[in-house]
Amino acid sequence: MVNAEGLVPVKEGLFTWTVNSDSPKLIGSRCSECQEVVFPANNFCQNCANNTMKEILLSRRGKLVSFTIQRFQPPPPYKFSGEFKPYGVGMIELPEGVIVTSILTESNPDKLKIGMDMELLLDKFYENEEGKQVVSYKFRPVQKDVG
Amino acid sequence: MREVYILGLGMHKFGRFPDKTIEQLGMEAINDSLTDAGIKFKDIQAAFCGTVFGGWGLGHRISSKFGLQGIPIVNVEAACASGGSAFNLSHLSVASGQCDVALAFGVEKMPRGFIAGQPEDWYTYTGLSVNPVYFAMKIKRHMEKYGGTEDHLIEVSVKNHRNGVLNPYAMYQKETPYEVVKESHMVNDPLRLLMLCAPNEGAAAVILCSKEVIKKFNVTKPVQVAASVLKTAVYGTPEVPHFSISANVDNPPPAKLASREAYEIAGVGPEDLDLIELQDTDSGSEIIAYEELGLCNRGEGYSLLDKKMTEPTGKMPVNVSGGLLCKGEPLGASALGQIVELGWQLRGETGHRQVENAKVGLAHVYGAHGNCSVTILKS
Repeated sequence: MVNAEGLVPVKEGLFTWTVNSDSPKLIGSRCSECQEVVFPANNFCQNCANNTMKEILLSRRGKLVSFTIQRFQPPPPYKFSGEFKPYGVGMIELPEGVIVTSILTESNPDKLKIGMDMELLLDKFYENEEGKQVVSYKFRPVQKDVG
Repeated sequence: MREVYILGLGMHKFGRFPDKTIEQLGMEAINDSLTDAGIKFKDIQAAFCGTVFGGWGLGHRISSKFGLQGIPIVNVEAACASGGSAFNLSHLSVASGQCDVALAFGVEKMPRGFIAGQPEDWYTYTGLSVNPVYFAMKIKRHMEKYGGTEDHLIEVSVKNHRNGVLNPYAMYQKETPYEVVKESHMVNDPLRLLMLCAPNEGAAAVILCSKEVIKKFNVTKPVQVAASVLKTAVYGTPEVPHFSISANVDNPPPAKLASREAYEIAGVGPEDLDLIELQDTDSGSEIIAYEELGLCNRGEGYSLLDKKMTEPTGKMPVNVSGGLLCKGEPLGASALGQIVELGWQLRGETGHRQVENAKVGLAHVYGAHGNCSVTILKS
Protein backbone atom coordinates (compact mmCIF):
# COMPACT_ATOMS: atom_id res chain seq x y z
CA MET A 1 0.00 0.00 0.00
CA VAL A 2 1.63 3.22 -1.15
CA ASN A 3 0.30 6.65 -0.25
CA ALA A 4 0.72 9.91 -2.14
CA GLU A 5 3.87 10.75 -0.19
CA GLY A 6 5.74 7.77 -1.64
CA LEU A 7 6.02 5.88 1.64
CA VAL A 8 5.61 2.12 2.03
CA PRO A 9 5.70 -0.02 5.19
CA VAL A 10 8.54 -2.51 5.40
CA LYS A 11 5.88 -5.18 5.90
CA GLU A 12 2.09 -5.11 6.09
CA GLY A 13 0.57 -6.00 9.40
CA LEU A 14 3.44 -4.99 11.72
CA PHE A 15 1.97 -1.64 12.74
CA THR A 16 -1.06 0.53 12.08
CA TRP A 17 -0.41 2.62 9.10
CA THR A 18 -2.33 5.78 8.34
CA VAL A 19 -1.13 8.82 6.51
CA ASN A 20 -0.08 11.62 8.87
CA SER A 21 -1.02 9.50 11.87
CA ASP A 22 0.49 10.85 15.04
CA SER A 23 -0.39 7.71 16.92
CA PRO A 24 0.89 4.59 15.16
CA LYS A 25 0.70 1.34 17.08
CA LEU A 26 2.41 -2.03 16.84
CA ILE A 27 0.08 -4.93 16.04
CA GLY A 28 0.57 -7.86 18.39
CA SER A 29 -1.66 -10.73 19.40
CA ARG A 30 -2.96 -11.98 22.74
CA CYS A 31 -3.94 -15.55 23.55
CA SER A 32 -7.48 -15.85 24.90
CA GLU A 33 -6.46 -18.99 26.82
CA CYS A 34 -3.25 -17.99 28.62
CA GLN A 35 -3.22 -14.20 27.99
CA GLU A 36 0.33 -14.19 26.64
CA VAL A 37 1.09 -11.43 24.13
CA VAL A 38 3.56 -11.62 21.23
CA PHE A 39 4.82 -9.32 18.51
CA PRO A 40 4.52 -9.56 15.57
CA ALA A 41 1.00 -11.03 15.67
CA ASN A 42 0.85 -14.80 15.32
CA ASN A 43 -2.03 -17.20 14.69
CA PHE A 44 -0.90 -19.80 17.21
CA CYS A 45 0.01 -19.11 20.80
CA GLN A 46 3.59 -20.24 21.21
CA ASN A 47 3.08 -20.62 24.95
CA CYS A 48 0.12 -22.99 25.00
CA ALA A 49 0.18 -24.01 21.32
CA ASN A 50 -3.53 -23.21 20.86
CA ASN A 51 -5.12 -21.55 17.86
CA THR A 52 -6.50 -18.85 20.18
CA MET A 53 -4.65 -15.64 19.36
CA LYS A 54 -6.43 -12.38 18.64
CA GLU A 55 -4.81 -9.26 17.23
CA ILE A 56 -4.38 -6.35 19.62
CA LEU A 57 -2.82 -2.91 19.29
CA LEU A 58 0.09 -2.49 21.70
CA SER A 59 0.63 0.54 23.94
CA ARG A 60 2.97 3.15 22.53
CA ARG A 61 4.99 3.67 25.68
CA GLY A 62 7.11 1.34 27.75
CA LYS A 63 10.32 0.95 29.74
CA LEU A 64 13.75 0.21 28.30
CA VAL A 65 14.81 -3.23 29.55
CA SER A 66 18.12 -3.51 27.69
CA PHE A 67 19.95 -2.02 24.74
CA THR A 68 23.06 -2.14 22.60
CA ILE A 69 24.54 -0.14 19.74
CA GLN A 70 25.17 -1.70 16.33
CA ARG A 71 28.48 -0.04 15.50
CA PHE A 72 29.39 -1.87 12.32
CA GLN A 73 27.48 -2.14 9.08
CA PRO A 74 25.52 -5.42 8.95
CA PRO A 75 25.94 -7.63 5.87
CA PRO A 76 23.42 -7.54 3.01
CA PRO A 77 20.53 -7.73 2.67
CA TYR A 78 20.58 -5.01 5.36
CA LYS A 79 19.40 -1.87 3.60
CA PHE A 80 20.20 1.77 4.21
CA SER A 81 20.37 5.01 2.27
CA GLY A 82 23.41 7.27 2.12
CA GLU A 83 26.24 6.38 4.51
CA PHE A 84 25.93 3.73 7.21
CA LYS A 85 25.36 5.20 10.66
CA PRO A 86 25.58 3.18 13.88
CA TYR A 87 22.18 2.61 15.46
CA GLY A 88 20.74 1.66 18.82
CA VAL A 89 18.73 -1.53 19.35
CA GLY A 90 16.67 -2.00 22.50
CA MET A 91 14.15 -4.17 24.31
CA ILE A 92 11.11 -2.24 25.55
CA GLU A 93 8.63 -3.66 28.04
CA LEU A 94 5.08 -2.66 27.26
CA PRO A 95 2.13 -2.70 29.70
CA GLU A 96 0.62 -5.67 27.83
CA GLY A 97 3.33 -7.91 29.33
CA VAL A 98 5.40 -8.17 26.17
CA ILE A 99 8.98 -6.99 25.66
CA VAL A 100 9.54 -5.91 22.04
CA THR A 101 12.86 -5.57 20.23
CA SER A 102 13.25 -2.38 18.24
CA ILE A 103 15.66 -0.06 16.51
CA LEU A 104 16.14 3.08 18.62
CA THR A 105 16.46 6.67 17.50
CA GLU A 106 19.40 7.12 19.90
CA SER A 107 22.84 5.74 19.02
CA ASN A 108 24.81 7.23 21.92
CA PRO A 109 24.91 4.68 24.75
CA ASP A 110 25.52 7.43 27.31
CA LYS A 111 22.06 8.80 26.53
CA LEU A 112 20.33 5.47 27.13
CA LYS A 113 19.57 3.96 30.51
CA ILE A 114 17.81 0.77 31.51
CA GLY A 115 14.45 1.78 33.02
CA MET A 116 13.95 4.93 30.98
CA ASP A 117 10.59 5.66 29.36
CA MET A 118 10.42 5.05 25.63
CA GLU A 119 7.78 5.74 23.01
CA LEU A 120 6.99 4.32 19.59
CA LEU A 121 7.30 6.17 16.33
CA LEU A 122 7.46 5.34 12.66
CA ASP A 123 10.45 6.46 10.64
CA LYS A 124 11.91 6.18 7.17
CA PHE A 125 14.60 3.51 6.96
CA TYR A 126 15.80 3.36 3.35
CA GLU A 127 14.77 3.99 -0.23
CA ASN A 128 13.63 0.91 -2.14
CA GLU A 129 14.21 0.04 -5.79
CA GLU A 130 11.00 1.78 -6.83
CA GLY A 131 12.18 5.00 -5.22
CA LYS A 132 9.74 4.73 -2.31
CA GLN A 133 10.78 5.43 1.26
CA VAL A 134 10.44 2.27 3.34
CA VAL A 135 8.99 2.90 6.78
CA SER A 136 9.30 0.83 9.94
CA TYR A 137 9.02 1.30 13.71
CA LYS A 138 11.49 2.71 16.21
CA PHE A 139 11.42 3.73 19.85
CA ARG A 140 12.75 7.02 21.19
CA PRO A 141 13.41 8.23 24.73
CA VAL A 142 10.38 10.14 26.03
CA GLN A 143 11.22 13.85 26.09
CA LYS A 144 10.78 15.24 29.58
CA ASP A 145 8.93 18.54 29.59
CA VAL A 146 11.07 21.46 30.69
CA GLY A 147 9.71 23.73 33.43
CA MET B 1 18.94 -47.64 24.76
CA ARG B 2 22.38 -49.21 24.38
CA GLU B 3 25.64 -47.79 25.70
CA VAL B 4 27.58 -45.77 23.15
CA TYR B 5 31.36 -45.31 23.03
CA ILE B 6 33.81 -43.13 21.16
CA LEU B 7 35.84 -45.15 18.70
CA GLY B 8 37.64 -42.39 16.80
CA LEU B 9 38.36 -38.67 16.99
CA GLY B 10 39.72 -36.35 14.31
CA MET B 11 39.96 -32.63 13.78
CA HIS B 12 41.25 -30.15 11.24
CA LYS B 13 42.66 -27.01 12.87
CA PHE B 14 40.19 -24.09 12.89
CA GLY B 15 41.25 -20.96 11.06
CA ARG B 16 41.34 -19.67 7.46
CA PHE B 17 42.48 -21.99 4.66
CA PRO B 18 42.03 -20.28 1.32
CA ASP B 19 43.94 -23.08 -0.45
CA LYS B 20 41.65 -25.85 0.75
CA THR B 21 38.13 -26.65 -0.37
CA ILE B 22 35.43 -27.41 2.17
CA GLU B 23 35.53 -31.05 1.03
CA GLN B 24 39.26 -31.24 1.76
CA LEU B 25 38.77 -29.92 5.30
CA GLY B 26 36.11 -32.56 5.94
CA MET B 27 38.16 -35.36 4.41
CA GLU B 28 41.17 -34.58 6.59
CA ALA B 29 39.11 -34.64 9.79
CA ILE B 30 37.39 -37.89 8.81
CA ASN B 31 40.69 -39.48 7.77
CA ASP B 32 42.20 -38.61 11.15
CA SER B 33 39.21 -40.11 12.95
CA LEU B 34 39.42 -43.34 10.93
CA THR B 35 43.15 -43.65 11.64
CA ASP B 36 42.51 -42.93 15.29
CA ALA B 37 39.80 -45.59 15.36
CA GLY B 38 41.85 -48.11 13.41
CA ILE B 39 38.98 -48.79 11.01
CA LYS B 40 38.25 -48.20 7.34
CA PHE B 41 35.44 -46.06 5.91
CA LYS B 42 33.60 -49.23 4.86
CA ASP B 43 33.11 -50.02 8.56
CA ILE B 44 30.97 -46.87 8.97
CA GLN B 45 27.28 -47.79 8.88
CA ALA B 46 25.67 -44.32 9.07
CA ALA B 47 26.97 -40.78 8.66
CA PHE B 48 25.66 -37.39 9.81
CA CYS B 49 27.17 -34.16 8.50
CA GLY B 50 26.68 -30.82 10.25
CA THR B 51 27.01 -27.73 8.05
CA VAL B 52 25.21 -24.42 7.55
CA PHE B 53 26.87 -22.81 4.54
CA GLY B 54 28.41 -25.92 2.99
CA GLY B 55 25.74 -26.29 0.36
CA TRP B 56 23.30 -29.07 -0.29
CA GLY B 57 24.61 -32.61 -0.30
CA LEU B 58 27.89 -31.74 1.48
CA GLY B 59 27.85 -34.91 3.61
CA HIS B 60 27.32 -36.99 0.50
CA ARG B 61 29.99 -35.18 -1.51
CA ILE B 62 32.57 -35.75 1.22
CA SER B 63 31.57 -39.33 2.09
CA SER B 64 31.63 -40.35 -1.56
CA LYS B 65 35.35 -39.46 -1.70
CA PHE B 66 35.93 -42.35 0.72
CA GLY B 67 33.57 -44.86 -0.79
CA LEU B 68 30.04 -45.46 -1.96
CA GLN B 69 28.64 -47.95 0.52
CA GLY B 70 24.90 -47.37 0.42
CA ILE B 71 24.78 -46.21 4.04
CA PRO B 72 22.29 -43.63 5.29
CA ILE B 73 23.86 -40.17 5.11
CA VAL B 74 22.03 -37.15 6.53
CA ASN B 75 22.99 -33.47 6.31
CA VAL B 76 22.07 -31.62 9.48
CA GLU B 77 21.59 -27.89 10.02
CA ALA B 78 20.88 -26.20 13.33
CA ALA B 79 22.78 -22.93 12.92
CA CYS B 80 25.77 -22.82 15.31
CA ALA B 81 24.63 -26.06 16.92
CA SER B 82 24.65 -28.08 13.69
CA GLY B 83 27.54 -30.26 14.84
CA GLY B 84 25.74 -30.96 18.10
CA SER B 85 22.62 -32.08 16.26
CA ALA B 86 24.70 -34.28 13.95
CA PHE B 87 26.33 -35.82 17.01
CA ASN B 88 22.99 -36.33 18.71
CA LEU B 89 21.62 -38.18 15.70
CA SER B 90 24.70 -40.38 15.37
CA HIS B 91 24.45 -41.20 19.06
CA LEU B 92 20.79 -42.12 18.66
CA SER B 93 21.66 -44.23 15.64
CA VAL B 94 23.95 -46.46 17.73
CA ALA B 95 22.01 -46.27 21.00
CA SER B 96 18.82 -47.41 19.29
CA GLY B 97 20.51 -50.33 17.63
CA GLN B 98 19.96 -48.96 14.13
CA CYS B 99 23.68 -49.51 13.56
CA ASP B 100 26.87 -50.35 15.46
CA VAL B 101 29.29 -47.74 14.06
CA ALA B 102 28.24 -44.20 13.16
CA LEU B 103 30.19 -41.14 12.02
CA ALA B 104 29.33 -37.57 12.96
CA PHE B 105 31.31 -34.88 11.22
CA GLY B 106 31.00 -31.12 10.85
CA VAL B 107 32.54 -28.89 8.22
CA GLU B 108 32.37 -25.18 7.52
CA LYS B 109 33.95 -22.39 5.49
CA MET B 110 32.33 -19.21 6.79
CA PRO B 111 32.20 -15.96 4.88
CA ARG B 112 34.04 -13.20 6.74
CA GLY B 113 32.33 -10.73 9.05
CA PHE B 114 28.90 -10.76 10.66
CA ILE B 115 26.81 -13.79 9.83
CA ALA B 116 24.17 -12.84 7.26
CA GLY B 117 20.62 -13.05 8.58
CA GLN B 118 17.66 -14.71 6.90
CA PRO B 119 17.54 -13.00 3.54
CA GLU B 120 14.52 -11.18 2.18
CA ASP B 121 12.77 -10.33 5.40
CA TRP B 122 11.81 -7.12 7.12
CA TYR B 123 13.97 -7.58 10.18
CA THR B 124 17.11 -8.15 8.12
CA TYR B 125 16.40 -5.10 5.96
CA THR B 126 15.99 -2.92 9.06
CA GLY B 127 19.04 -4.23 10.94
CA LEU B 128 17.55 -6.56 13.55
CA SER B 129 19.28 -9.72 12.25
CA VAL B 130 22.78 -9.27 13.61
CA ASN B 131 23.45 -12.06 16.14
CA PRO B 132 25.78 -10.20 18.54
CA VAL B 133 22.99 -7.63 19.11
CA TYR B 134 21.12 -10.35 21.00
CA PHE B 135 24.16 -11.54 22.95
CA ALA B 136 24.88 -7.91 23.86
CA MET B 137 21.37 -7.10 25.07
CA LYS B 138 21.20 -10.31 27.09
CA ILE B 139 24.46 -9.67 28.94
CA LYS B 140 23.72 -5.96 29.41
CA ARG B 141 20.47 -6.84 31.17
CA HIS B 142 22.23 -9.53 33.18
CA MET B 143 25.06 -7.18 34.23
CA GLU B 144 22.56 -4.55 35.36
CA LYS B 145 20.61 -7.09 37.39
CA TYR B 146 23.49 -9.02 38.96
CA GLY B 147 26.32 -6.47 39.19
CA GLY B 148 28.50 -7.56 36.29
CA THR B 149 31.20 -5.18 35.06
CA GLU B 150 33.28 -4.72 31.93
CA ASP B 151 36.18 -6.24 33.88
CA HIS B 152 34.28 -9.53 34.02
CA LEU B 153 33.82 -9.54 30.26
CA ILE B 154 37.51 -8.73 29.83
CA GLU B 155 38.51 -11.51 32.23
CA VAL B 156 36.72 -14.20 30.18
CA SER B 157 38.60 -13.09 27.09
CA VAL B 158 41.94 -12.97 28.94
CA LYS B 159 41.35 -16.45 30.43
CA ASN B 160 40.33 -18.11 27.19
CA HIS B 161 43.10 -16.52 25.15
CA ARG B 162 45.64 -17.62 27.74
CA ASN B 163 44.26 -21.16 27.45
CA GLY B 164 44.30 -21.03 23.67
CA VAL B 165 48.06 -20.51 23.52
CA LEU B 166 48.40 -24.20 24.41
CA ASN B 167 46.01 -25.46 21.73
CA PRO B 168 47.51 -26.06 18.29
CA TYR B 169 43.99 -26.54 16.87
CA ALA B 170 42.93 -23.00 17.79
CA MET B 171 43.07 -20.18 15.26
CA TYR B 172 44.31 -17.62 17.78
CA GLN B 173 47.16 -18.78 19.95
CA LYS B 174 48.12 -15.48 21.50
CA GLU B 175 47.47 -14.03 24.92
CA THR B 176 45.33 -10.92 25.07
CA PRO B 177 46.23 -8.93 28.19
CA TYR B 178 43.61 -6.84 30.01
CA GLU B 179 44.55 -3.53 28.33
CA VAL B 180 44.49 -5.06 24.86
CA VAL B 181 40.96 -6.40 25.36
CA LYS B 182 39.79 -3.16 26.99
CA GLU B 183 41.04 -1.08 24.09
CA SER B 184 39.67 -3.29 21.32
CA HIS B 185 36.90 -1.75 19.23
CA MET B 186 33.39 -1.68 20.64
CA VAL B 187 31.23 -3.79 18.32
CA ASN B 188 27.87 -4.18 20.11
CA ASP B 189 28.01 -2.41 23.48
CA PRO B 190 29.12 -3.80 25.92
CA LEU B 191 30.87 -6.38 23.72
CA ARG B 192 34.24 -5.37 22.28
CA LEU B 193 36.01 -7.07 19.37
CA LEU B 194 38.21 -9.28 21.56
CA MET B 195 35.18 -10.39 23.56
CA LEU B 196 33.59 -11.86 20.41
CA CYS B 197 34.50 -14.98 18.45
CA ALA B 198 35.22 -14.92 14.72
CA PRO B 199 33.33 -17.14 12.28
CA ASN B 200 35.97 -19.11 10.35
CA GLU B 201 36.76 -22.52 8.77
CA GLY B 202 37.35 -25.99 10.12
CA ALA B 203 36.23 -29.59 10.44
CA ALA B 204 35.90 -32.25 13.13
CA ALA B 205 34.82 -35.89 13.15
CA VAL B 206 33.73 -38.37 15.81
CA ILE B 207 33.15 -42.08 15.30
CA LEU B 208 30.72 -43.70 17.74
CA CYS B 209 30.19 -47.39 18.33
CA SER B 210 28.38 -49.95 20.45
CA LYS B 211 29.83 -51.71 23.50
CA GLU B 212 30.47 -54.91 21.54
CA VAL B 213 32.54 -53.03 18.97
CA ILE B 214 34.63 -51.10 21.51
CA LYS B 215 35.35 -54.39 23.36
CA LYS B 216 36.76 -55.90 20.16
CA PHE B 217 39.28 -53.05 19.94
CA ASN B 218 40.72 -53.58 23.41
CA VAL B 219 40.77 -49.87 24.10
CA THR B 220 42.53 -49.16 27.41
CA LYS B 221 40.60 -46.03 28.31
CA PRO B 222 37.26 -46.19 26.50
CA VAL B 223 35.32 -42.95 26.54
CA GLN B 224 31.59 -43.38 26.87
CA VAL B 225 28.90 -40.99 25.73
CA ALA B 226 27.09 -40.77 29.06
CA ALA B 227 24.44 -38.40 27.67
CA SER B 228 23.58 -36.62 24.43
CA VAL B 229 20.62 -34.24 24.70
CA LEU B 230 19.16 -31.88 22.13
CA LYS B 231 16.60 -29.23 23.04
CA THR B 232 15.12 -26.08 21.56
CA ALA B 233 13.69 -23.02 23.25
CA VAL B 234 10.54 -23.04 25.33
CA TYR B 235 8.28 -20.00 24.98
CA GLY B 236 9.36 -16.65 26.29
CA THR B 237 13.13 -16.97 26.57
CA PRO B 238 15.42 -14.50 24.78
CA GLU B 239 16.85 -16.50 21.88
CA VAL B 240 18.79 -15.32 18.85
CA PRO B 241 16.94 -13.49 17.31
CA HIS B 242 13.81 -12.44 19.19
CA PHE B 243 11.29 -9.77 18.17
CA SER B 244 9.41 -10.11 21.41
CA ILE B 245 9.75 -12.05 24.62
CA SER B 246 7.39 -12.46 27.52
CA ALA B 247 7.58 -10.13 30.50
CA ASN B 248 5.62 -12.59 32.65
CA VAL B 249 6.73 -16.12 31.89
CA ASP B 250 10.05 -17.27 33.36
CA ASN B 251 10.84 -20.47 31.49
CA PRO B 252 14.21 -22.26 31.65
CA PRO B 253 16.47 -21.48 28.70
CA PRO B 254 17.45 -24.34 26.35
CA ALA B 255 20.86 -24.78 27.99
CA LYS B 256 19.18 -25.41 31.32
CA LEU B 257 16.64 -27.80 29.79
CA ALA B 258 19.33 -29.76 27.98
CA SER B 259 21.89 -29.87 30.80
CA ARG B 260 19.34 -30.83 33.46
CA GLU B 261 18.29 -33.83 31.39
CA ALA B 262 21.88 -34.70 30.51
CA TYR B 263 22.92 -34.72 34.18
CA GLU B 264 20.01 -37.02 34.98
CA ILE B 265 20.76 -39.46 32.17
CA ALA B 266 24.49 -39.49 32.93
CA GLY B 267 23.96 -39.83 36.66
CA VAL B 268 26.24 -36.90 37.49
CA GLY B 269 25.85 -33.34 38.74
CA PRO B 270 27.71 -30.17 37.74
CA GLU B 271 30.03 -30.69 40.72
CA ASP B 272 31.22 -33.98 39.17
CA LEU B 273 32.45 -32.35 35.98
CA ASP B 274 36.23 -32.23 35.52
CA LEU B 275 36.03 -29.86 32.57
CA ILE B 276 33.51 -28.00 30.45
CA GLU B 277 33.67 -26.84 26.85
CA LEU B 278 30.87 -24.31 26.44
CA GLN B 279 29.59 -21.83 23.87
CA ASP B 280 31.64 -18.68 24.37
CA THR B 281 30.48 -16.86 21.22
CA ASP B 282 31.23 -13.84 23.40
CA SER B 283 32.37 -13.17 26.97
CA GLY B 284 28.82 -12.52 28.14
CA SER B 285 27.50 -15.83 26.84
CA GLU B 286 30.18 -17.72 28.78
CA ILE B 287 29.22 -16.09 32.09
CA ILE B 288 25.52 -16.71 31.51
CA ALA B 289 26.26 -20.31 30.49
CA TYR B 290 27.89 -20.92 33.89
CA GLU B 291 24.44 -20.30 35.39
CA GLU B 292 22.33 -21.99 32.74
CA LEU B 293 24.44 -25.16 32.94
CA GLY B 294 24.11 -25.23 36.72
CA LEU B 295 27.79 -24.61 37.47
CA CYS B 296 26.50 -21.98 39.90
CA ASN B 297 23.19 -20.41 40.86
CA ARG B 298 21.45 -17.73 38.88
CA GLY B 299 23.28 -14.41 39.18
CA GLU B 300 26.47 -15.98 40.54
CA GLY B 301 28.36 -16.26 37.26
CA TYR B 302 30.50 -13.19 38.04
CA SER B 303 31.37 -14.62 41.43
CA LEU B 304 32.42 -17.96 39.91
CA LEU B 305 34.75 -16.09 37.59
CA ASP B 306 36.09 -13.87 40.39
CA LYS B 307 36.91 -16.94 42.47
CA LYS B 308 38.96 -18.34 39.54
CA MET B 309 36.86 -21.53 39.64
CA THR B 310 36.76 -21.71 35.84
CA GLU B 311 40.52 -21.38 35.34
CA PRO B 312 42.36 -24.55 34.17
CA THR B 313 43.53 -25.04 37.75
CA GLY B 314 40.11 -24.30 39.22
CA LYS B 315 37.37 -26.69 40.32
CA MET B 316 35.45 -26.28 37.04
CA PRO B 317 37.86 -25.61 34.17
CA VAL B 318 35.91 -23.92 31.37
CA ASN B 319 37.21 -23.77 27.80
CA VAL B 320 40.74 -25.03 28.42
CA SER B 321 40.83 -25.37 24.62
CA GLY B 322 40.61 -21.58 24.37
CA GLY B 323 36.92 -21.81 23.51
CA LEU B 324 35.30 -20.22 20.51
CA LEU B 325 37.11 -16.98 21.36
CA CYS B 326 40.38 -18.65 20.30
CA LYS B 327 39.24 -21.45 18.02
CA GLY B 328 36.81 -19.28 16.10
CA GLU B 329 33.46 -20.61 15.04
CA PRO B 330 33.08 -22.77 11.93
CA LEU B 331 29.39 -23.40 12.56
CA GLY B 332 28.98 -27.02 11.47
CA ALA B 333 32.24 -28.14 13.05
CA SER B 334 32.18 -26.19 16.29
CA ALA B 335 30.24 -28.59 18.54
CA LEU B 336 32.19 -31.57 17.25
CA GLY B 337 35.42 -29.70 17.94
CA GLN B 338 34.30 -29.42 21.57
CA ILE B 339 33.55 -33.15 21.75
CA VAL B 340 36.88 -34.05 20.15
CA GLU B 341 38.66 -31.88 22.75
CA LEU B 342 36.76 -33.55 25.59
CA GLY B 343 37.50 -36.99 24.17
CA TRP B 344 41.21 -36.25 23.94
CA GLN B 345 41.21 -34.82 27.46
CA LEU B 346 39.49 -37.89 28.89
CA ARG B 347 42.06 -40.09 27.16
CA GLY B 348 44.89 -37.99 28.63
CA GLU B 349 46.17 -36.94 25.21
CA THR B 350 46.14 -33.15 25.43
CA GLY B 351 49.71 -32.47 26.53
CA HIS B 352 50.28 -29.04 28.07
CA ARG B 353 46.62 -28.16 28.29
CA GLN B 354 45.70 -31.48 29.92
CA VAL B 355 43.30 -31.26 32.85
CA GLU B 356 44.70 -33.72 35.36
CA ASN B 357 42.73 -36.89 35.90
CA ALA B 358 39.89 -35.75 33.65
CA LYS B 359 37.15 -38.36 33.85
CA VAL B 360 33.90 -36.49 33.19
CA GLY B 361 33.44 -33.69 30.65
CA LEU B 362 30.51 -31.65 29.38
CA ALA B 363 30.17 -29.99 25.97
CA HIS B 364 27.55 -27.28 25.43
CA VAL B 365 26.73 -25.66 22.10
CA TYR B 366 23.99 -23.16 21.34
CA GLY B 367 22.65 -22.17 17.92
CA ALA B 368 20.33 -19.45 16.69
CA HIS B 369 16.60 -20.13 17.11
CA GLY B 370 17.16 -21.78 20.45
CA ASN B 371 19.04 -24.92 19.46
CA CYS B 372 21.03 -26.41 22.30
CA SER B 373 22.99 -29.64 22.45
CA VAL B 374 24.61 -30.87 25.68
CA THR B 375 26.90 -33.89 25.70
CA ILE B 376 28.48 -35.59 28.71
CA LEU B 377 31.44 -37.91 28.21
CA LYS B 378 32.87 -40.25 30.84
CA SER B 379 36.03 -42.33 30.92
